[in-house]
Amino acid sequence: MGGLPKKKFERGSATNYITRNRARKKLMLSLPDFRRLCILKGIYPHEPKHKKKVNKGSTAPRTFYLLKDIRFLLHEPIVSKFREYKIFVRKLKRAYGKTEWSDVERLKDNKPTYKLDHIVKERYPTFIDALRDIDDALCMCFLFSTFARTGKCHVQTIQLCRRLTVEWMNYVVASRALRKVFLSIKGIYYQAEVMGQLITWLVPYQFSHDHPTDVDYRVMATFTELYTTLLGFVNFRLYHSLNLVYPPKLDSKAESELKEEHEDDYAMNSESYLEKLSALSSSLARVVSTDEEEEAKLDEFPAEGEDMEQMEAIEKEQKQLETQKKLFEGLKFFLNREVPRESLAFTIRCFGGRVSWDKSVCIGSTYDMTDETITHQIVDRPNVDKQYINRDYIQPQWVYDCVNAKILLPVEDYFLGVTLPPHLSPFVEEKEGDYVPPEKLKIMALQRGEKPAQEQWHDDDEDEEDEEDEDEEEEEDNDDDEEEAEEENLKQMEEQRSQGKSLQVKVTPGKVKADNPARLKEEEMAEEKRLAIMMMKKKEKYLYDKIMFGKKRKIREANKLAAKRKAHDDAEKGKKKKARK
Amino acid sequence: MAAARRLKRVAASQPGFLTLKPSSEPADLVGSRRKRVNKNKKKNWNKFSDIADVEEFLEDVRHQERTTGGLLSEKSDDTLFFVDLGQSEKPEQKAEEPDEGKKRKGKASRPLRIDLILQHDSHIPPPKDVLAYQQPNAKKLRRIAQKAEQLAARGVVPRRQKRLLNRRPIDRTVNKAVTEANNNPDRGYYNLWGQESKDSADPWYLQQTGKKLVKRPEKLNEKPSVLPAVEVIAPGGSYNPDFFSHQVLLQEAHNVEVKKKKQEDRLEKQLAVNKEDRATEETALREVVEGLIEEEDDEVGAPNSKEDDEAAVAAIAVTEKKTERQRKKEKAEKIKEQQRLSSRRQNAQQQQLFQLRSIKTSIKQQEQKTKKKQVQRKAQQEAQKAQPRRLGKLKFQTPDLDIQLSDELAGSLRQLKPEGSILKDRFKSLQKRNLIEPRERAKFKRRLKLKYVEKRAFKEIT
Repeated sequence: MGGLPKKKFERGSATNYITRNRARKKLMLSLPDFRRLCILKGIYPHEPKHKKKVNKGSTAPRTFYLLKDIRFLLHEPIVSKFREYKIFVRKLKRAYGKTEWSDVERLKDNKPTYKLDHIVKERYPTFIDALRDIDDALCMCFLFSTFARTGKCHVQTIQLCRRLTVEWMNYVVASRALRKVFLSIKGIYYQAEVMGQLITWLVPYQFSHDHPTDVDYRVMATFTELYTTLLGFVNFRLYHSLNLVYPPKLDSKAESELKEEHEDDYAMNSESYLEKLSALSSSLARVVSTDEEEEAKLDEFPAEGEDMEQMEAIEKEQKQLETQKKLFEGLKFFLNREVPRESLAFTIRCFGGRVSWDKSVCIGSTYDMTDETITHQIVDRPNVDKQYINRDYIQPQWVYDCVNAKILLPVEDYFLGVTLPPHLSPFVEEKEGDYVPPEKLKIMALQRGEKPAQEQWHDDDEDEEDEEDEDEEEEEDNDDDEEEAEEENLKQMEEQRSQGKSLQVKVTPGKVKADNPARLKEEEMAEEKRLAIMMMKKKEKYLYDKIMFGKKRKIREANKLAAKRKAHDDAEKGKKKKARK
Repeated sequence: MAAARRLKRVAASQPGFLTLKPSSEPADLVGSRRKRVNKNKKKNWNKFSDIADVEEFLEDVRHQERTTGGLLSEKSDDTLFFVDLGQSEKPEQKAEEPDEGKKRKGKASRPLRIDLILQHDSHIPPPKDVLAYQQPNAKKLRRIAQKAEQLAARGVVPRRQKRLLNRRPIDRTVNKAVTEANNNPDRGYYNLWGQESKDSADPWYLQQTGKKLVKRPEKLNEKPSVLPAVEVIAPGGSYNPDFFSHQVLLQEAHNVEVKKKKQEDRLEKQLAVNKEDRATEETALREVVEGLIEEEDDEVGAPNSKEDDEAAVAAIAVTEKKTERQRKKEKAEKIKEQQRLSSRRQNAQQQQLFQLRSIKTSIKQQEQKTKKKQVQRKAQQEAQKAQPRRLGKLKFQTPDLDIQLSDELAGSLRQLKPEGSILKDRFKSLQKRNLIEPRERAKFKRRLKLKYVEKRAFKEIT
């Protein structure tokens, strides 16, 4: 055989990858610039499958990029801007060193800048693509907007982030897109549905910053640079989809209302408009002024069978959503000064409520505390001196729990000085057979429209209520009867479970007291199911048994947890009683 | 000297001149002996000419002006003299006595003596600053202004101004385009995803001149990880959590810690010195005494090894050449063996015909096995997609779970103390999603060594 002998590492994966340093040299950039370029263009390092081959026999850990990606980077116009900037810095340094101030001025005037518009367009070819990736951008912008202006990053960046986040919040308010809120120990998680996309973002609590040292601020600032551009364009598009003016303007009516003599006390003239916007208390100006939004109705298609059911389900969901959007409509809130104003105002306004606060807390308050039409006052202190009779004094958690439950919860549990029920995460979705905390069960019952008096699983809560108002003793007897009946039912179910022969594994606590025809139907169904099981092949039967076993195990665990919870609650109650005595 | 004398004479001859101070007598001047000096040098004139009398005179003039506001000789008589009547002395004294009491009361209103001393007491007004009233080139400027007014009235714009006017609008636009930074808080946005304006130019021309952007490969739009951008904290991380979900989260955090501790312990164990390796008194003593006490084992061991060596050499030497007969025999045996094997193979093949079923089952089993492995591998790959990759020198370190212990939990939103840093959380999330490689902060390296010198002031103290 003739030909040249094959050399090692001249084909295959060794030629597909390039190390970071070589890439950097190829692009003629410094390492920080290279990093920035990669972040902006969305080119990430790649872990090769066979490192030793790629690394030409060495096993030293290195960062690799795909060669084609780097070749693509070579065409980027920003690369030359980076080089220009480097030269600009060098010249500026020199001018400073020689104390040539006129030169410094001239150079500063001609500082090279660049735009990221084309990169955003290139990375997100359609608007929906951009919307899908907006989570990161929102998190970053909300984070940066809360930074103190202490030189950890450019003040201008902070201002821009603040502006963009205020615009975003105003959009969410205007479109009533908010779905879930979760107060965690880290920050506040929000979830909104924008154009069919679920968007989650995290907002830090106010004044909660310590600057960690092990975070690379340059990298974060670069990400923010890209994301501010992205978020700005997305905001523009979203505003136009709602016929809102961009950049946002307050409604002319609202604007005249907000004009007060104390305006100058809050902020400088240049900033007061942004502050007013960020107050979120008034609606935005529209391009085409529409008095009422026309209700968009679902198109109806003739459907049969399963489609019909699906359609019904969808319709029901739609209806529920509509009601959720108007959750706080007609309610008037007043925020005390110790509650987180921005978060609460945002949440309340997203569901149609009206909100105000003390004049000295923030700009843009629309009515005073003395207003008689206020329905709820949100308070987070043990007691209040002067109370109005015709309004509820509640703790801030009520607002968030209502949003998550999609209904107005009874305010009794959230009164002033009352120990709050736990704030459950709306992001958890329980599957069938999972353990569900009793508080959630209660909320679910409320959602179904059952009254809290008929609560079936939450005995102790009832007891507490009874303890609180002892006038209802007559009713209590009835309750006791019911409780006994329930206990019997529960016992029966337990027995069935322990025998392991029951085929109806569903936990359907709400439907225990079904009417006779329904029960007959159920029995029929069960019979059919049993027959179907009998007709199964051996193989399928095996699989079926396995699945059922898994389900049962889950239920068993859930029951165990429920029992534990009950024991815990009982213990707590016992303690309370002792304390009272 | 002659000049000075002349001056003096002039002053004295002026009509009505009075000196305030008694002047030094001219007899003194005459009495002192004259020094003889060369008068052909200006230096000497300055040095030896006596100008004391002139200066005295001028000083006297200045003094008069300062104290009285002009030359005494020029003043009218009634300003200098008054008629002494000598009557009003007594009533004045009487009036003064009650005055003193008043003065004490009104002391605060009287200026302090120190201020009086510092006050300007000269009678000569300060000289006017002439330049403050004058304008240099006033005439010229006035003329220019007049001319400009005339031109303006006629509507003529001077050339210089015209040029400036012409330049201004262009400059502005250029400046704006240049200086608008990317993070300018008032920057404008537009509809990025709107209708694209079709380029009228030839696409080939655009491509060749580098005016058209290179198309982004589709593959780059894939995300390097399947993890979501924002991972919501577990339900136990609520500010007011449900008891059980909080316990679950605590358990999880506890497990992580236990695992860490275990690893640490294991490492420590591996690094620890074995107990048997430690020096005891006995071993230490043996080491000290080693070589001093002769042992007989060595003598016994040495000859043994020698014998072994000889045997090995013999084994190599024994191999001898085979005879012809032996070779033939070996060959025959080999052929026989081959025949035996081939017949056996044939037999087995024939037998396999009857084993078809079992073979089939074995093949099936093998296939099943490979399929299972394939599925497993695929599942593993899927799981790998959610894992952080090794992208550089360092491995991704999962951050500690953010938890609050039961006693740290706040009763209300007002008392909540936020846990963990969101900035760090975001940074770690970027690393976890393989967007950036995990790195360490670069250590600060000093290029030149620091040199410590005790300052003298410090030395004196110590």
